[in-house]
Amino acid sequence: MADQSNESSKRRILSLDGWAVAVALLLTALVRLGVLKHISW
Amino acid sequence: MASSSVALRAEPLQWPRRIIVLLPGVALLVLVGMAGKVLEKSIATYTKAHHIVFPNIEYVLWAIVVGLLISNTVGVPAWFKPGVATYEFWLKTGIVLLGARFLLADVLKLGSVSLVLVLVELALSIAFMTLLGRIFKLSPKLTSLLAVGSSICGVSAIIATKGAIDADDEDASFAIAAILALGALALFTFPPIGHALGMSDHMYGLWAGTGVDNTAEAVAAGALYSDAAAKIAVLAKTTRNAMIGFVVLGYALYWAAREGRQAVGNKAAFLWQKFPKFVLGFLLISLLASLSVFNKDQIASLANLSRWAFLLTFAGVGLRINFKEMKKQGLRPFIVGALGEIVIAAITLGLVLGASKVVKL
Repeated sequence: MADQSNESSKRRILSLDGWAVAVALLLTALVRLGVLKHISW
Repeated sequence: MASSSVALRAEPLQWPRRIIVLLPGVALLVLVGMAGKVLEKSIATYTKAHHIVFPNIEYVLWAIVVGLLISNTVGVPAWFKPGVATYEFWLKTGIVLLGARFLLADVLKLGSVSLVLVLVELALSIAFMTLLGRIFKLSPKLTSLLAVGSSICGVSAIIATKGAIDADDEDASFAIAAILALGALALFTFPPIGHALGMSDHMYGLWAGTGVDNTAEAVAAGALYSDAAAKIAVLAKTTRNAMIGFVVLGYALYWAAREGRQAVGNKAAFLWQKFPKFVLGFLLISLLASLSVFNKDQIASLANLSRWAFLLTFAGVGLRINFKEMKKQGLRPFIVGALGEIVIAAITLGLVLGASKVVKL
C-alpha cells in the first residue's frame, strides 16, 4: 500500500499551483502567438 | 481547498479518466457562471425597458447565489464534486493571467503598501485570535488553526498548519468551516459597508484583500464592488498569501518546542515548500507586460481570460457553501471566528483608512 502511494507520488508531475501556472503560461503564449485572438467577455 | 488538490491529484486514476471525472463538475461551474452572467444582463435589460429603478446586481453575486441555491436545495451530486472542486485551480490560473494588467512597478508600489498593512494585520489578528481562543477555552491547536486561517489565507493556511503542528482532523475541519462561513458572510457585508463609507476602488480593494480570509472570497468581495477593486484585492491578498510560509514555520517551531518534538530541519526548504508558487507566475506575467511583450489587444484578451477563470471560481464558491454542513460543526468555533473576523475587519478597515491619509489610495 505504502509502495503504491510512493510510486504514485513519484508519478505526480505538478502541484495544483504548478498546473495553474502552466495553464496560464500556455494561454499567455497562445495569445502572444496570435492563436487565441480577441477573447471577449 | 484541499478537495481540489485531491481531485487534481487523484492518484489511482489514469490520465484520461482523471480528466473525464472532472468534466461534469467543470460543466456545472460553467453553467452556474453563465447563469450569473445571463441573469445580470436580463435583469438590467428588463428593468431598463420597463423604467424600473433597480440596482445593478453583478454577475459575481448571481453566480454565487445560484450556486448557493443548488448546494442548499437539491445538493451537489457526488459525481459533480471533483470538477466543482477545481474552482481553486481556476482561481489561481485567473490570478496568474491577471498579472498582464499590472506593470511590475505598480505591483512593487502597491505591494509594498499592502505588505505594511499585511504585517500589521498579521500581528494583530494572531494576537487577538489567540486571546479569544483562550477566553472561550478552545483547544490550543484549534486556536492556532483559527489564528492562522484568519490572519493569512483561510483554508490553505489551515491545511498547511495542520500538517506542520500535527493538529487533529476535527480541529482542522472546525477551523475550515468557521473560516468558510465567515468568508461567505463577508461577501454580503463588505460591499455595502464600502459603499456606505464612500471608499475608492483602491481603498476597498486593499480592505477586501487584507480583511477577507479565503482567496476566492476576497477576489469575489472585490469583484462585487468593481473590476478595479477586484484587481487591487487580488494584489493585496497575494501579498498576504506570500507570507504563509513564515507564519506556518513560526507555528511549527512553537509547537515543536512546546511538545518537545524535533523542530523543522531545513527552514529554507520548508519556506519554499509552503510558498504559493502561483505568486511567481503572477509576477512573471506582470514582468512580461512591463517589458511590452504584449500589445493592447493581447492584454485585453489575457484580462478577459482571467475574468472567465474567475467566473468559474465564483460559481464554485456558491456551490461549496452548505449551511447544513456548517451547522454540524458546532457554534463555539464559529462564534470565536465571527468575533475575531468582525474585529479583524474593523482593524483592517482602520488600517486602510489610516493608510489613505498617508499614501494616495
